[in-house]
This record gives sequence, C-alpha cells and structure tokens, in this order.
Amino acid sequence: MDTLARIKELAVKELSLDPGTLDPNAPLDKLGVDSLTFIEFMFKIEDEFGVKVSDEDLRRIKCLADLERHVAASLQASGKA
Amino acid sequence: MTARRVAITGCGVVSPLGLGMETFHRALAGALTGIRRLPEEVARNSGVQVAAPVDWDASAHFKGPAAAQLDRVSQFALAAAAQAIAASGLDPAAADRDRIGVYWGTGMGGAHTLEAAYGQVYGRNDWRLRPLTVVMAMNNACGSNVAVRWGLRGPFANFSTACSSSAMALGEAMRTIQAGRADAVVAGGAEALLTAGTLAAWQALRTLAPADAAEPGASCKPFDKRRAGLVLGEGAAAFVLEEESRARARGARILALLTGYGNSCDAVHMSRPDRDGQIRALREALADSGRTPEEIGYINAHGTATVVGDAVECEAIAAVMGEAAARVPVSSTKSMHGHLLGGAGALEMAAALLPLLEGIAPPTAHLEQPDPACGAVRHVARAAERIERPRAVMSNSFAFGGSNVVLIAESA
Repeated sequence: MDTLARIKELAVKELSLDPGTLDPNAPLDKLGVDSLTFIEFMFKIEDEFGVKVSDEDLRRIKCLADLERHVAASLQASGKA
Repeated sequence: MTARRVAITGCGVVSPLGLGMETFHRALAGALTGIRRLPEEVARNSGVQVAAPVDWDASAHFKGPAAAQLDRVSQFALAAAAQAIAASGLDPAAADRDRIGVYWGTGMGGAHTLEAAYGQVYGRNDWRLRPLTVVMAMNNACGSNVAVRWGLRGPFANFSTACSSSAMALGEAMRTIQAGRADAVVAGGAEALLTAGTLAAWQALRTLAPADAAEPGASCKPFDKRRAGLVLGEGAAAFVLEEESRARARGARILALLTGYGNSCDAVHMSRPDRDGQIRALREALADSGRTPEEIGYINAHGTATVVGDAVECEAIAAVMGEAAARVPVSSTKSMHGHLLGGAGALEMAAALLPLLEGIAPPTAHLEQPDPACGAVRHVARAAERIERPRAVMSNSFAFGGSNVVLIAESA
C-alpha cells in the first residue's frame, strides 16, 4: 500500500472521516479535525511510519496531501523508502 | 419573589450493579452485590482482594476512536449524563444553553490515563506520552466533556473533596439554580480509579476490607460487628436539576425536589471522622429544607464499613434526629455497590430516590450481627423493606479531609 493510501486509511479510522469523499487536498480544519485531534493523529502517524513530525512541520501540514509529502520525504531521508 | 425550587427531572446511573436508574433500583431492592474478587495478579501485588468494578463495554457507548480519547471516568460521566438528559426530556439544543450549567464531582479524575502515563515514563523509561494525556487526566475532564457534548454554556464547577465531591456538586448546583444563575444544571459525579497503583495506595492506608472467604460479594459489612473496612468501587451518577416552575411548564416528570444542603468541615483531622462536624452538616441540611426529623423517612448513610466511621455517623444521626432516630430507616448501600469515592454522593442520591419513588428502603446487605456501637439508629438489615413513601429522604457524604455534605430530597 502506498504512503497516501496508508495515511487515508489511518485518517478514516482515527478521525472518523468518510473514505468515499475524502479529499487529500481538503484543509483538515474544513473536515472537522480540530487542533487537539490533529496532534493526536500526528502522534499515530509517527508511530505508524517511524518518522518525526516537528513543531515546525506541524505548522506547515494543512491537509493529508501535505502530510503524505512530509512522510515520504522523511522516509526517503532516512533510507526507509 | 417566591423562592426558586429545584426539581430532579432525570437520573442516570453507571454502577457496579448495572447501568440505568431502574436497573440500579432493582438491584438495591434485591440486595444484589457488585463486589467481586480482583484478578489474582492485582490482588497479589496490591494486597487488595475485592472491589466493585463496572461491567463496561466502551464500544457500546462511543463510536469510532471517541472512546480511546476519553479516560474511563469521562466515559462513565458521559454515559450517566446521557441517560439523565434523555430521561428528563430536556432538549438542550432547543433550550437557552447559556442558562444550563454543569456541576460535577470526582476525587481523582482520569486515574487510568495518569497511571498509564507514569507507568510508561517510570516503568518503561519511555517518555513519549500521548498528546491527549493532559486533557484526559485532568480532574475537570468529566464535567467539561459533558458540557462540550451538549453545548451547556452556563455556570460550570468541578468539585474534588474526596468522598463528598459529587454530593457537593449537587448541593452547589441546587444553590446556583435557587440563586437564579441557571435554569438547569446537569450535576453528578464519577470515579474510576481501580488501577493497580491507586489500589496499592489505598491498601497502604489499611482501611480496605479483605475478601469474605465464603462470599466475596459480602466483603463490605457496614454497621456489622465483623466490619473490616471499605470496598472500592467505580461508576457515575448524573441528574438533571431544573428550576421547578420551568420543569412543570414543559410537562417534565419530576422525580423529586432537591431541598436541603448542609456543608461543613471537621477541621480536626485528615481521615478520622468527627461527630460534631457531621452534626453541623446534618442540622444545616434539615434547616435548609425546612423539614423536621419526623418528616425524614429514609437516610442513606455514608456507612463505609470502617470501625470508627460507622459508629461516629450513627452517633451523629442519633444526636440530630432525636426521638425519630429509633424510627427512621437507615442503610448503607455501599454494602452492594462499594465506595465510589468522588462519585458516591451522586450514586447514593440515586439510591435514595428508590424509597421516594417506590416506598422501598434499600438495605445494608450482609448486616447480620449489628454492632451495639452503631445501635442508636434503626437499620434496614440484609433485605429491602417496604415502607410508607417518605415525605423526604437524606443522604450523607463524609469525606477524608473532613468535608461533610448532607443532601435532602423530597417527593414532588
């Protein structure tokens, strides 16, 4: 499964989002994901992919597509990709 | 201006005797027990042999990831509040939610979350804690979750006075409605601290009952010569309290009126109960309600089954009730549901509604050898008794730290 698919699957499970209409480019706050839930979700993402999401990264990630790019780059940098 | 009176229009229960007020009342009437042996490993390590846990399936109450974002104590609180609000028929979405408050009580708050976090840090040297640790563990999480769930934007308070926490929440909620600061308050209490570390801390106090070898469910024996301490329980109870005329105007079923609140502090010792402090709270509650001792038809005692505590409470009740003490039925339902600590006052007010609604006095189960030191009051021993439906009932909550709260409810 590719990175985006895994992120989407996790988002459906943890954020109760509808898989049928999930748009990776939609801002997360527009999907009803509040800041606290988002931070908890990042914690799960770190566990799932074995990557770090810094405070600075957090501020830049606005949608699942942003998150996918961050995870992919981190995996690449660490040689896990 | 006529005084604003406070009606109880809904009650919700999450208890070791089951979920829902009706289920709880049937269990009390049947003298059932929610006390059972703890798993062998917990008992061996902590030394605590019995407790009264709630049979709980979070997935039946919370969808998707919601349960994992709530400490067990907040899960109990939300479930009890949902029952109470549904039973009341109050629709917060259609009401002025700025005029509906939340008053809650809990001793420890999110004990499971806190202990899991400490176990991770100190036990496994793993310092990467969940981001939700703080908001799940904080003491006011129960009440805040209730407020958020129903958008209740009126006065908010959280009480943490050990065993009187939720009785105080109910009393102060009553005051808030009487004072005109709110038209309704969702009030109650919850506790969920049956964790290994908390059990061990309680065991160190040497105040917990060992298991009754023949019948573990009978390990808590208030007022009995053989009593050997309290049994810890968990759970929650919630009430919808409303200004009476508004409740009547919307055609609500009024379960009872909350009319008396006494609150005092012993100010003498951190754990030893004090007769005079209890007497002051009992007298204040009676004076507040305007009822005489003769009009009280049932007393739900604090009755934790400690040697000193039960005797002192009986003396205090007898001193305040006078001649009526020989007649008024008294029981400690902790013999069946254990001690819910911060949730005890609310759950026991739910128990005290049974005689008001049905004319059934719940018993002190397992009270077979009454202690003469507790002989100054009339006990409902072993089995429930059918009594004349009382005009008013009383519930006592006397806490570590010396906080004493007494509540009086009356038939509607």
